[in-house]
Amino acid sequence: MTMQSAASVTDDAIANRPMGAIRSFFRRMRGTTHSIHQSERKDVAMNAQTEIKAADNGVNVEALLGAREAITGMPAAGQFKWRTRCDWIDGVHTQSTVDGFFGLGAEQERNARFEITTDHPEQFAAKNQGATPIEIVLSALGACLTGGVASVAQHRGIQLRKVTAFVEGDMDLAGVLGIDADVRNGFSGIRVRFEIDADATPEEIAAVVAQSQKRSAVFDIIANPGNVSVTVA
Amino acid sequence: MDHHTTVIIGAGQAGLAMSQVLSAHSVDHVVLERGEVANSWRKDRWDSLRLLTPNWQSRLPGDAHDETDPDGFMASAEVAARLAAYTSGFGLPVQTGTDVMSATSDPAGYRVGTNRGDLTCANLVVASGACVTASVPAAKAALPSGIHSATPLTYKRPSDLPEGGVLVVGASATGLQLAREIHASGRPVTLAVGEHVRAPRRYRGRDIQWWMDASGLQDTGYREVDDLDRVRRLPSMQLVAGSDTLDLNVLQAMGVRVAGRLTMIRDGHALFSGALANHCALADLKMNRLLDAVDAFAIKAGLAGETDPPERFAPTAVPDAPLLDLDFARGEIRTVLWATGYRPDHSWLDLPVFDRKGRLLHDGGVVTGAPGLYALGLPFLRRRKSTLIDGAGADARDLAHHMLARLADRQAA
Repeated sequence: MTMQSAASVTDDAIANRPMGAIRSFFRRMRGTTHSIHQSERKDVAMNAQTEIKAADNGVNVEALLGAREAITGMPAAGQFKWRTRCDWIDGVHTQSTVDGFFGLGAEQERNARFEITTDHPEQFAAKNQGATPIEIVLSALGACLTGGVASVAQHRGIQLRKVTAFVEGDMDLAGVLGIDADVRNGFSGIRVRFEIDADATPEEIAAVVAQSQKRSAVFDIIANPGNVSVTVA
Repeated sequence: MDHHTTVIIGAGQAGLAMSQVLSAHSVDHVVLERGEVANSWRKDRWDSLRLLTPNWQSRLPGDAHDETDPDGFMASAEVAARLAAYTSGFGLPVQTGTDVMSATSDPAGYRVGTNRGDLTCANLVVASGACVTASVPAAKAALPSGIHSATPLTYKRPSDLPEGGVLVVGASATGLQLAREIHASGRPVTLAVGEHVRAPRRYRGRDIQWWMDASGLQDTGYREVDDLDRVRRLPSMQLVAGSDTLDLNVLQAMGVRVAGRLTMIRDGHALFSGALANHCALADLKMNRLLDAVDAFAIKAGLAGETDPPERFAPTAVPDAPLLDLDFARGEIRTVLWATGYRPDHSWLDLPVFDRKGRLLHDGGVVTGAPGLYALGLPFLRRRKSTLIDGAGADARDLAHHMLARLADRQAA
């Protein structure tokens, strides 16, 4: 599930904004009326080609646009609550379970539940039963941006063949170990490097990746501060 | 009580353009102005402000003004003088010193309450300006006491600010211009940069506004864009009067420090977004698409030979580790200048014509559910240039035609 999808696809049109005016300008110069012929699209546009190509990245853009429209008209439907439950197993070994969520005005179920196991590697004197929580965070960032790339590319008519995100975070253990109060616990920096094979120019690919960041929930969560409250029942 | 066919509220470029068009069609009307003609241009602008558009582009309906310096850029006092001359030249019926306090429905159409009494009208045109109040984020409430706060509507000149550092929030034309002059005054500037629109001042030997005008980009209609709500909220293009480009690279070369969008002020700290690099990448990509469109137009229009060759500009430089956390207690920042946009003030409009966020509901200036009520001079009202002086005439003509058709219908009925 990528939260960014519904909104990001509509921004595609904005990104190509100048073309509407340019097209209408040429339309006037040619003295034609409303219809834009495909040949016309081809010769004016740097991006208009995306409107006449059929790409299939497996993203249902129409459904996402429909959801966007529905939520615009009924903002309460857009209020979601996402949840996970985390159980301690042993040591730093935990298991999280994800199933229902709240949204569209009601509790929602899905047809499967998912489990995420975390642990630490042997170097941390642990049993290495799963990835560390911070690697799950990096994975979530990579997943959200990659899903966003697929959604934006779909809406722009860009066929993807291969997309891989390599995510790396820098951490100074002096923070989490309490050695140096000036060092933060979390990452001092995160880098994401995409390798993308697609039917598009490097500029078009860069624009898809930028748009994916712009509408990514996880990117926002990591890049911007937020309030967290923790209580004990 | 006085009755007019049409009442126009605001004697800025939008209201005056409408008045001129209505005069030409002999429609009885009056323009109500709280202060003098072009009041905002006289009172609510900073000292150094000049238009972002060249003089040749300040065209108003019927104005045969002989432009002596077509490529110059007017200061706000010159804009005010120009609009005053336009008013007297056409003998436009402006009633100055008239503060509108309310507008309500009335059997005659609308009833307008002012400090000089009430009047009624069949048509009401709201042309009171898009930049009447400063839009300031909620974060301001958490600003530590002792930190001076200003908006572009209260700011006049750098010397009015305390000595010491200034945090300028917002990277529109306003934010960049003020960051530049404040930094040059010896007050080190930190600039918080969110989404922004980058453009070169001149491209291929011509002003960018010339390209946008000639190619039809400024005429893009509000029905031609896919996400109207979004384009109406876009910050202004980073431009300053003259021939030089003003962008984040220019400011950083001067020593201005750039940070990400100001996300919140918490416990006396300003916290900035870590998404600066992407905001800059988006702006660079969009600028290049604009230049691609200009290049395509140059070829189509046969201008490629007579203009300079295409050019692409250096990407925006982003610091390796942009500032994320600024502690006001360190004393480095003495002032926060909120260049975070402007809003119209429609609080006096006592009619059910607003959306849930308090924005006027309208279709290209024809206010929804209120026959005879019109708006002018708002961002992308009917076309990209709707808030430019150059856009006032076309919008006024369109809405005047709508109004005339309505009046004709009423007469026929």
